[in-house]
Amino acid sequence: MSPTADVRTQILEANRRAAEALRRHFAGEKTLVVNLISSPGAGKTTLLEATLARLGDRYRTAVLVGDIATEKDADRIRRLGLPAYQILTGGACHLDARQVQGALEKASFGPLDILFIENVGNLICPTSYDLGEDFKVVLLSLTEGDDKPFKYPAIFSRAAVAVLTKMDLLGVVDFDLAAVETQIRTLNPSAEILRVSAKTGEGMEAWCRRLERALSAKRG
Amino acid sequence: MHETGIALEILHASTKVLADHGGTRVVRVKVAVGELSAVEPELLAYAWEAAVAGSPAEGAKLEVEFVPARQSCPNCGPVVREPGAWVPLCLSCGSPLNVEGGTELDLLQVEFETDGEGV
Repeated sequence: MSPTADVRTQILEANRRAAEALRRHFAGEKTLVVNLISSPGAGKTTLLEATLARLGDRYRTAVLVGDIATEKDADRIRRLGLPAYQILTGGACHLDARQVQGALEKASFGPLDILFIENVGNLICPTSYDLGEDFKVVLLSLTEGDDKPFKYPAIFSRAAVAVLTKMDLLGVVDFDLAAVETQIRTLNPSAEILRVSAKTGEGMEAWCRRLERALSAKRG
Repeated sequence: MHETGIALEILHASTKVLADHGGTRVVRVKVAVGELSAVEPELLAYAWEAAVAGSPAEGAKLEVEFVPARQSCPNCGPVVREPGAWVPLCLSCGSPLNVEGGTELDLLQVEFETDGEGV
């Protein structure tokens, strides 16, 4: 029998350490950091546009956005006159904490109240990588179907807030709201579930208040 | 599909353990993968074979210990279920259930050879 070393460390130890360094940095700056995760097309950028239209002139905000290619999403935020930095992952399916550290250095946003991190569109891989955020938000659009929380349990069990997007399509697409909310609560009894349409403005008040409450808590 | 990245992290961590112990070749690595870790054990095993090629862990066996998440009722205790089969409410009393564990993504053991030792 060959020698065996018992170790028990996290496989993503390097990412964990980078995330903890980010968390200490953001705690010192009193910056609220929100990590937005969803499948492609669920409406992360649209939710951010509507959010920044409401909060952008009251708070110092910035957006870090991860995509495999193109600056399209960062451009949409910049069009609102607000700072955004695009992280191009070149094929990687998620953002990691070291990419966030690098992007923050390059972007030099200055002091911020709220930093939004729009992750690469993917319900699986981004779940594993702590980015030093205060909490994760998972978005699920009505067009994706009402069986997704049990199909992708990891992200729904870890996101503090679940935003059901494109609520204006309720009645147009078959989507059992009660069933989805039961699935989310089964995986994460403390999750907050918000029903939102960035298009009609439904639920935007509640979502913005949720962010402002978290910011107040962070400022202490 | 980030199992390749995870496999490379396991390789990096286990070759560091190898160096710390003065070993020359990794022969077996044991990891814990939780049900809620967002990592698929079969894909990880496949990615591992590719990741270790040409490294001191080439040919090393990757042993994956799957760790299920535990659901439990505040009144009736632990719920028995198959992995992936989530129970929405307690089957006995209808209470909402709690979820614990299953987020593990840990390196547990590294078995290695040192110089002068036969296989």
